[in-house]
Amino acid sequence: MARDAQPFAFAQDKLTFLLSLVPYLIDLGRVSVAEAAAHFQVSEKQIRDAVTLIAVSGVPGETTQYQHGDLFDISWDDFDERDEIVITHMVALDDSPRFSAREAAALIAGLQYLQSLPENVDSGVYSSLMDKLARGASERPSQVAIAGSDTTASLAEVRDAVARRLQISFDYLSARGSRERRTVDPLRIDSDDENWYLRAWDHARSAVRTFRLDRMTGITVTDIPVSGSHDDVPLGDRLFVGGDDDLLVTIELDPSAMALLGEFVSSVDETAPADGGVGESDDAGGADARQPAPGRVRTRIRVAHVHSLKRLVTAMPSAVTIVDPPEARAAVVDWAGAALDRYRTA
Amino acid sequence: MPVEERLFSLVLALLATEAGLTKGEILSTVQGYRQRYSANGDNASLERQFERDKDDIRELGVPLEAIDTPGEPGNNQSLRYRIPRTAYELPADISFSDAETTLLNLAAMAWREGSLSRESRRALLKLRSIGVETSDPVLGYAPRIRTRDAAFEPLNDALSRGVGASFAYLKPGDAAARLRTVTPLALVQHQGRWHLKAIDTGVGEPRTFLLSRITGPVKLGRTPVDVPPGDYAAIALAELDAIWEANVAELEVVAGSDAQVRLGRRRGATSPGEGRLLLHFTDLNLLADELAGFGPEVLVIGPEHLRHAVVERLEQAVRTHEEAV
Repeated sequence: MARDAQPFAFAQDKLTFLLSLVPYLIDLGRVSVAEAAAHFQVSEKQIRDAVTLIAVSGVPGETTQYQHGDLFDISWDDFDERDEIVITHMVALDDSPRFSAREAAALIAGLQYLQSLPENVDSGVYSSLMDKLARGASERPSQVAIAGSDTTASLAEVRDAVARRLQISFDYLSARGSRERRTVDPLRIDSDDENWYLRAWDHARSAVRTFRLDRMTGITVTDIPVSGSHDDVPLGDRLFVGGDDDLLVTIELDPSAMALLGEFVSSVDETAPADGGVGESDDAGGADARQPAPGRVRTRIRVAHVHSLKRLVTAMPSAVTIVDPPEARAAVVDWAGAALDRYRTA
Repeated sequence: MPVEERLFSLVLALLATEAGLTKGEILSTVQGYRQRYSANGDNASLERQFERDKDDIRELGVPLEAIDTPGEPGNNQSLRYRIPRTAYELPADISFSDAETTLLNLAAMAWREGSLSRESRRALLKLRSIGVETSDPVLGYAPRIRTRDAAFEPLNDALSRGVGASFAYLKPGDAAARLRTVTPLALVQHQGRWHLKAIDTGVGEPRTFLLSRITGPVKLGRTPVDVPPGDYAAIALAELDAIWEANVAELEVVAGSDAQVRLGRRRGATSPGEGRLLLHFTDLNLLADELAGFGPEVLVIGPEHLRHAVVERLEQAVRTHEEAV
């Protein structure tokens, strides 16, 4: 995991690393810096720095003067010349620390979330695992829980194709409402709370695309192997990345609704002018100089097309209003208006 | 001296002592404190440092305890601090199989934002400490649990510290948010939404709050509130499930539309006839938001309240986008 390679930003995390590293080193007896770094997924420098600190740490001891025997000691020859770690004297600490209540709760809630995965894991594995985490915590894990999410039946099929590295094809309904047969190399299944997505190499578009699993129908797992590893294509955390033909839209919203925009928009332009952007560059042309309504902010977002945006805005009209361009405003009026017509005639 | 070196020295010193060390002994002898200790001067700032360090260490799950000196109960100055080994160490019989390790990795990976991401990362460090190999990337999945609601972090803090909380809460249909003072019991995610189960101290009864309806900052109480032990998270989820089970919306959906494809695949969704859909729901207003988003693809048959709520949203969408900005 890429995030693990980051150095620890907080002293608490650095302390946890030290308390975790010592028992590991004692247990192994002799281990190379490279091996320890790989095991803990940190840089070799982080390992060397930690070992250097451990080697001068200890307890005050009888004299309260941190005498030689009160400190950890390592084999400096092995460390300096062979880049290997051997602890030759240990004090106070030899076993791994328990989980905190919150650490255990984080993993337990994560496991609850995963229980909806269609893996061949019987629920007994989950409950025994949660039990071990609770037992390994120094206090009762805090009460955080997640209900199993909805997973469509297609998850199992797609997951199987990912594992067997086989191409799949399926009908995909776009937000525009058009249906198209797609053939892809499935790469990874991503989830975002209760929503599930397939990240895949789309053959017709020669690019990575993200598909909502609940919009895929008629899935066929072919017997054709995927066309390549696509290892050179980075799959970032963001499900949707902006394209050149993205639509730039000015919206006005309740700041608390910003998070709800979530993955719908490929980017939020935080620097968008709050005053309507008079004299701004080309793209703000349609926006006027009026201030946003009290308690609201104006921002510019990028969306792939107006169809997903009109759905989003119609779902929360009290929180979000499109300011510009006029076509996007008209799309909302048409969409919601067509729905109202149905109620009037019904 | 780096902070972690002082904290590490404090943990080592307190693990090494059976009888415990007094605050004075700690400040005058432990690395990181003793360098700043003044034998006959004022150590007030050093004492405050020690108080903060104690909290930081305890937050990591280290059972740092304070015991009375025999014969001097209740004397704050003679309190002795120590970390009992058996409570500190991970029980020796806890080990994890390969399949379990894979699941733990995935579970930790699901938290990619906020404090739970840091906590799950720390938990992985502790797992690696006992030699568990967690470096294998889990191919095929990248799960993610969101904690987008601003109220999540402070309420999670309130839960783990066992303190009360207060916040403004806007109930649908109410004109304005009202201040609620609660004793948090559990945070649960149901249908992708975070809920707080808590005792509303105003009415003295348990209530369930939707985090997205909390407006404004959450204020935490200072002193821990006693909560009788109970599996509140499981209770809260069971209650939400019961509400979900009892509520059914009847919809007309356009064949082949996004609404039909996606709503029709929801858990428990059934089709009583061509173009008809029965859908369970927990919260009428949240469902109304969602259904309004499907525009003309959905027509709500019932219940009447839901139909009304959807029409209201559609009318507002038209109104706010027809008017000149």
